[in-house]
Amino acid sequence: MPNRTRRVAVTSPQTRLAHSRGRARGRWRVPRLDPGNAERAAALYHAQRAQGLVGLALTTALLLGLPLVFTAWPELDGVRLLGVPLSWLMLAVLPYPVMALLAHWQLRRAERVERR
Amino acid sequence: MAALAAVAAVMVVTLLIGLRGVAAMRTTSDFLVASRRVSPLLNSAAVSGEYLSAASFLGVAGLVVKDGIGSLWYPVGFTAGYVAMLILVAAPMRRSGALTVPDFAEARLASPGLRRLSALVVLVIGGLYLVPQLRTAGLVLSTVSSAPYWVGVVLSGAAISATLALGGMRAATYVQAFQFCLKLLLFIAPAVWLLALAGPQVRYDAAHPVEFTRFDADTSVSFRVDVTLEVDEATPVRSLRGRESVLGPGDVHVESGQTLVFPEGAPVPGVRGSTPPGGGDWHRPLLNMGDAGHPLLATLAVLTATALGTMGLPHVLMRFHTSPDGRAARRTAAITVALLGVFYMFPGVYGTLGRVLVPELYLSGATDTVVVALPAQVATGWASTLMTTLLTVGAFAAFLATSLGLLLVISGAIAYDLLPGGLLRLRITVLLAAAVLVLLALPAAPLDAGLLVTWGFTVAASTFCPLLVLGIWWPRLTRTGAVSGVLAGLLATLGAIAVALFGPALSGWQAILITQPAPWSVPLAFAAMVLVSLRGRPPSWSRTAMLRLHLDEDPPHTPPGHP
Repeated sequence: MPNRTRRVAVTSPQTRLAHSRGRARGRWRVPRLDPGNAERAAALYHAQRAQGLVGLALTTALLLGLPLVFTAWPELDGVRLLGVPLSWLMLAVLPYPVMALLAHWQLRRAERVERR
Repeated sequence: MAALAAVAAVMVVTLLIGLRGVAAMRTTSDFLVASRRVSPLLNSAAVSGEYLSAASFLGVAGLVVKDGIGSLWYPVGFTAGYVAMLILVAAPMRRSGALTVPDFAEARLASPGLRRLSALVVLVIGGLYLVPQLRTAGLVLSTVSSAPYWVGVVLSGAAISATLALGGMRAATYVQAFQFCLKLLLFIAPAVWLLALAGPQVRYDAAHPVEFTRFDADTSVSFRVDVTLEVDEATPVRSLRGRESVLGPGDVHVESGQTLVFPEGAPVPGVRGSTPPGGGDWHRPLLNMGDAGHPLLATLAVLTATALGTMGLPHVLMRFHTSPDGRAARRTAAITVALLGVFYMFPGVYGTLGRVLVPELYLSGATDTVVVALPAQVATGWASTLMTTLLTVGAFAAFLATSLGLLLVISGAIAYDLLPGGLLRLRITVLLAAAVLVLLALPAAPLDAGLLVTWGFTVAASTFCPLLVLGIWWPRLTRTGAVSGVLAGLLATLGAIAVALFGPALSGWQAILITQPAPWSVPLAFAAMVLVSLRGRPPSWSRTAMLRLHLDEDPPHTPPGHP
């Protein structure tokens, strides 16, 4: 892997000049990919899309599921854990670790695809 | 006064950290994205710092007092936004090489028209978001000290514009990472202290809500907004000067700025358009807006707006470009979910304690100040002053951090997209934009901060969310399709907001769909984008332009559209 910070250098002296003169950004050019890169990009796109859909489905299930559970089982308000209604804990505490885990899991899968 | 001095100290520190970045400042691109050399952990602290605004620090707890436990759905949506961001947007957006959403629009679709339209949307979102920040700054200052409302507004406007004009985003990265740590500490420590000092009875009452019907003690209520009280039985009250009078029975109009003292045991009057804290469905974990009913619909409406709006918030998106590459941007999003989760477990503590200790805030329309009002209820003397001061400082850190990012984005949209210019132009724009926003915030005191901020999210969810999601994942998106979708989403949300502000009073599900239009405006924008795109033909390079965003390696060419 080439030095990753190098691709950060974004401004050439000419562009600085252009900026200081108040001229617009560089002209738009037709995007190009050489054949090897195009193939890899297409493979990555399809893999990430498939994984992303699974991640999205799980997130949606969590976000839509909880309100439905609360609507369907109002008894949860009466069940108490350490004196606090269970339904309050399910809303105020539960989603955050679940989402953090979901994000971590999704991150690892996305990075694994790119290491191939 | 202690609180004022501490707020001044925060502003000075913010300015000093800002000045540290000046030496490195050379070009517009340096100014906007700190030369893209920020590590994922530092960047996610900065993202969280930027994101945790007044709406999070004060607003959520206030909404819990006002509308009930269901208000805790807001922070769930705020956090879920970063999961969606991680899955859909973070890495490809960073790989596009674009600095801002308008840049992305041009890089992906080669449309200068869409670029200008996006810049306009940035201004709308920025305004809807920044005005309530400045407003809450003024409100909190006037609560904890004798300073008038406008002093806080003008001071915070001056501080953020000076920091930005001198230091730019480089400064903002350090400022916001610092302020995230500050906010986390200043939010959690007082919450633990409050819980410990509140005593077993208050803790028991906090978990067993009952309707607020009688004043437990002589209670002074300072009305912040005009309200119509619904008084069932004649209620004796005093003014601050001791003049006695009797309210009602019937509807009583009270003007803002008035202070009334209700005696112990007096019945609590109702407030038109809301239900008293603790009663009815207050304890339900579903969102209950005012008395509109349909809690499931209201919950889903707010979730849609916040979870999808986050990925379209222009100041957050720009923050992702300070990551060195797409992978770092994705990591930043993942760490941000965890950091926000820690913070958002605590607004409920303030909200439930606030319902027990200061339920009268719902009468005065100042529920937003519940967090800073609590310490004085459980302790007296220096401990209470110290905690109030810490919370005020934290709240101010929240305004400053969010406002810095927003002001940068607004100035960027004007100086970079609408009227391109150099660094000097950008700095001047920062000052002018801040001045205009301060002027807008001065008459905004009576507006509901939570509602304004959610509108910002709704506009983002109905414009930039479909633009980014389809731009990144759908090769068939066309220019005309993108423009139609953004226009449809923008006009639909602005129309709904206009009806909510100036239209007739609505009730039931219509009221929810007008004040929270996301459930229909987001699908509308997506549908417009897809249908119009399908009727046209994408240019031959469209698929390449999209695939490029998913390529992870160091690409053999420089990203087009950008120096």
